[in-house]
Amino acid sequence: MKRVVVLLFIALATAVSAQTPSTSTAVPRTGDGKPDFSGMWDNPKPPGARGPATVFDRAKFPPFKQGGEPFYEPRTGDPRHDEPRAFCMPSGFPSAFLGPYPVQMIQNARTLVMVTEFMRVARIIPLDGRPHQADIEPTYYGDPVGKWEGDTLVIDTTHFKRWSLDDFYYVNPKEYRMHSDAFHTIERLTRVDANTIKYDFTVDDPKIFTRPWTENWEFKRHPEWDKTGLFEMVCNENNRCPGGQCVKQ
Amino acid sequence: MKTRFFAWLSIFLFGTVAPALAHHSAIAEYDLEKPVKVSGTVTRVEWTNPHIWFYVDVKNVDGTVTNWGFSGAPPGVLQRRGISRGSLKPGDQVIVQGFRAKDGSFNGSGDTVTFPDGRRVFTAMEGLGQQR
Repeated sequence: MKRVVVLLFIALATAVSAQTPSTSTAVPRTGDGKPDFSGMWDNPKPPGARGPATVFDRAKFPPFKQGGEPFYEPRTGDPRHDEPRAFCMPSGFPSAFLGPYPVQMIQNARTLVMVTEFMRVARIIPLDGRPHQADIEPTYYGDPVGKWEGDTLVIDTTHFKRWSLDDFYYVNPKEYRMHSDAFHTIERLTRVDANTIKYDFTVDDPKIFTRPWTENWEFKRHPEWDKTGLFEMVCNENNRCPGGQCVKQ
Repeated sequence: MKTRFFAWLSIFLFGTVAPALAHHSAIAEYDLEKPVKVSGTVTRVEWTNPHIWFYVDVKNVDGTVTNWGFSGAPPGVLQRRGISRGSLKPGDQVIVQGFRAKDGSFNGSGDTVTFPDGRRVFTAMEGLGQQR
């Protein structure tokens, strides 16, 4: 009898260990069997890239639509126009999530929450396949909805205000890129291993471009950041020199 | 033109355009044609968002003292790199390099902070992304 119990125990332990991911590259899953993106991630970048903010690759831009809306916004010299973030205006999506700050993802069966440390901006993405809201006002971060295509999460976002596309003007201060209010993004997230989310980002802006285009980026996991999580970042605490006009000490 | 050349040269050499990568673009606040390099004594550190600020008493050639203010990286970015508010304290002797505020006041981007022994601390956003 004792021997049977021991054998049963060994068999059970073997079965349990067979179901437990045995390597660090296994993809974690939520209770409903979907890939779990929860955790601390670096900002999305082209594979193998280092460096701070990610920007869209000009080489991938399709031709501009003839008679379409302007993509490049001329600088006026007015800092409120040229860099509204200096006055604590929002970055908008995707710009805020491409900067050199960690992104924390929190997921359950119904919702994925993506939070960037930059100003602690959160995107709350329903995963139940619902359609976009109708007749809502355009916003800086848009209206995201998610649905699963197998193990790939597809996030479709619409209802944007016209706003800056990315931070390319840090690279070239004369090139200030704006998306239109017809801006539409499609993100495809596939967790290919424990440390990587393949992140295909499609830009569709029919008022500016003749066709959509896609960037193939990735999120890299940083478990060492789990201990602290995101640090607080607020804009109005001590924004001493907005637009170059410094508050007296 | 020459000034502009050296300003941009310093950007490439020292990465001092880096504040642009923090809260907003450096061009909104700092004059990249007016590089600043001062040495003096730290008088105060504000460990605040969206950028830390620290203040340095700088002795002028006429014997007067000017209290300069310099901005650094966001506290969270520094903390993740293991740099805490204790890394720079009142009384510390430092050399600070950066760019002057557009309003011409005694404020600037504190892009590079060097101690007398050569140690460099929270060089605003230097290497951010590489060093995080």
